[in-house]
Amino acid sequence: MRSPFAVAALGLALTLTAGCGVDTASPAGAAARFHTAVAAHQDAAACALLTPKTAEKLPDPDETCAQALAALKLGPAGRVTGVEVWGDDALVRMAGDTVFLHRFSDGWRVTAAGCEPRRDLPYDCEVED
Amino acid sequence: MRWIKENALSVAFLVMFLLALAGQAWSGAIHYNEEQLVNGLQPVSVWAYVTSSSFAVDVAENWQSEYLQFLLFIVLTVWLVQKGSPESKKPGEEGPEADHEQLIGEHAEKDSPRWARVRGARLWMYSNSLGLVMGTIFVLSWLAQSVAGLAAYNSERITDLRDPVDWGWYVTSSEFWNRSLQNWQSELLAVLSMVVLSIYLRQRGSPESKPVGAPHHATSVEG
Repeated sequence: MRSPFAVAALGLALTLTAGCGVDTASPAGAAARFHTAVAAHQDAAACALLTPKTAEKLPDPDETCAQALAALKLGPAGRVTGVEVWGDDALVRMAGDTVFLHRFSDGWRVTAAGCEPRRDLPYDCEVED
Repeated sequence: MRWIKENALSVAFLVMFLLALAGQAWSGAIHYNEEQLVNGLQPVSVWAYVTSSSFAVDVAENWQSEYLQFLLFIVLTVWLVQKGSPESKKPGEEGPEADHEQLIGEHAEKDSPRWARVRGARLWMYSNSLGLVMGTIFVLSWLAQSVAGLAAYNSERITDLRDPVDWGWYVTSSEFWNRSLQNWQSELLAVLSMVVLSIYLRQRGSPESKPVGAPHHATSVEG
């Protein structure tokens, strides 16, 4: 019952899942662009970097995404201090924020921002889906 | 044609394995994409799905439990017997057995494998090669489950706005052990069923069964 196929397939599985050559620059760049747009009051541009679901959920019925984002007055995020990418999801730690992202066919989009950690609970985010 | 006839059992299982794996990939991708759409995310291709940690962990967790099942069955049946079961040796025959029974060393026959004729490490390794290979595949599969499971679990944690965890945290987590134990319990039950039911029930013509007319107390008799 020797099975070189099984061993080879497992080796492939390990390689595929071990995170070899993970691109951390792209989600970091997307998080930084989001916060740069927010800081420059380019709220429509910032909204374009949100996932469709997050952008849809953010505004109240009588306002736009840009208006809702401007009203939140997110603080400065500062520099990127750490990035973790797992599959199509990423978490970008910045000096003043933790940003959650998901990979789409046209690049990384922000699922949540303005997040504060809570002990043993999910982050509490001002922008989330 | 003769080759296929003489290897029909392996060929049949290989074909069924590939069909089942392809079916798992196809149906898994459909299910995965249903969840993607519910969560406002883009559907992925079947190839993207089969190279994802979600597919890898599902495959690996089943593989490790199957190889563990056979490893335990191979090794435990050396030392433990079940009276009346065709899967067991007769009571009193427990253990690795004598050299002349195992046809090793000077008791090897003309067409015995080469490593069965020699003494030392090679004989020990060949004498335990089935268990060693099954055990190695089990360990590698379980390791693959832990690595792929960590990736899939951390992807879910990020989606849930939680910090990712490291490998040490994951392999001591309820998620990892729940995935492992839910597979182990079913494999162990299947072996238990085979060992016990084959005492009393028969499948005519199957070498996994006693002959239909064999008494219930007959042990190590295959049809």
